[in-house]
Amino acid sequence: MAFVLPQEPVLRLRQPLRKLLEGQENAMALYPTYPLHTERLTLRPFTRGDVDGVFAYRRLDEVARYLFDHPLSREECALAVQQRITQIGLAEVDDKIILAVELSETGALIGEVSLIWRSVEARQGEVGWIFDPGYQGKGFATEAANFMLDLAFGPGDMHRVSARCDVRNEASWRLMERLGMRREAHFREHAIFKSSWDEEYIYAILWQEWRRLRHPQEEIS
Amino acid sequence: MSSLSLPIETDRLVLRTFERSDIDDLCAYHMLPTMQRYVFSRTRDEAEVACALAIMRNHVSLQRPGDTLTLAMVRKGDKILIGHVSLNWSDATAGQGEVRFCINPSYSGQGFAKEALGALLDLAFDHFRIHRIFARCDGRSHHSIKLMQQMGMRLEAHYREHALFQGEWDEELHFAILDREWQRSAKVKELPLRHRVA
Repeated sequence: MAFVLPQEPVLRLRQPLRKLLEGQENAMALYPTYPLHTERLTLRPFTRGDVDGVFAYRRLDEVARYLFDHPLSREECALAVQQRITQIGLAEVDDKIILAVELSETGALIGEVSLIWRSVEARQGEVGWIFDPGYQGKGFATEAANFMLDLAFGPGDMHRVSARCDVRNEASWRLMERLGMRREAHFREHAIFKSSWDEEYIYAILWQEWRRLRHPQEEIS
Repeated sequence: MSSLSLPIETDRLVLRTFERSDIDDLCAYHMLPTMQRYVFSRTRDEAEVACALAIMRNHVSLQRPGDTLTLAMVRKGDKILIGHVSLNWSDATAGQGEVRFCINPSYSGQGFAKEALGALLDLAFDHFRIHRIFARCDGRSHHSIKLMQQMGMRLEAHYREHALFQGEWDEELHFAILDREWQRSAKVKELPLRHRVA
């Protein structure tokens, strides 16, 4: 997967070194400067104008099947978009960055990618995605998700990033494998999901593994 | 659900709730560095062990989710406390439970932990009707790993560097077993007279 590396640093890290030197924990914070660009995609914060675009895929049964949500109404999409408008930076644990993914060429909204800060001390993150099935099979999700890994391991300075999905959601775990993630867990009947037993995969990738993928020639000391 | 009848007897052990007088036997293994290496609660001196004992003495039954039952493993004959096992009811809706175990290294390697854990799994599945039991351990804790494999538990998760534990990157394994996977002991249970036919 080829990546267009930005000419100038589009990812600005608001990380006051002074705080780090003072030994404060939680000194790290991640506020990328938007929009972010990959080869074919633009990743940007959600805006109020995205409600119809989100509704176009979140109303579908096939999209909702493996999400915790049911198919959303237009009003619920409006609420979801409203929440996402401010989810653009990581300042403390459980903060989320959720970005709209659009095709740079046409401006069409094709889905969302997310990065959640799971642990500050142990530098853990979790990535996720929801995509419009109409745009499947073109590598867009891989491109966007790979960019989120770069965000997490680069400016986010994370050590491990995980992702989870239902075992039956093959498209999702195939994507995790394409990202270079390893299957770390296969939980069987560990919870109830939508009125039946849940079966779940957890995938993860460590910083050093990501680094080796991006720079295969380099020896890591 | 019929009421829980304690203590439980196995071939060589009596499993009972903790008592105040167990402090010395508990100190004999709970303060050891080999034990401290893998436990969540720090019990480095007698005062800390006493705190742990006070907590464990309250673990006498499972009434609601979140409750824990902790049973001391007492050897028949000499009545020495050689370890303990516990069952935590982690989720009621999905019928989930977690087991933990500790054994005094002086008595390990003789199948005592296996015996106690087997009785605890019987109790969890037969009495408390739990659907799935899981157990966690450190990736380096090979005695625990071997024990869980012997119990027929499946490795469900192998987390690498997912957290910090005692100042190091943690490697954690999850083992689990479902009620239908648990092989009941070969012991034939006598049916009460009224259930016998003819």
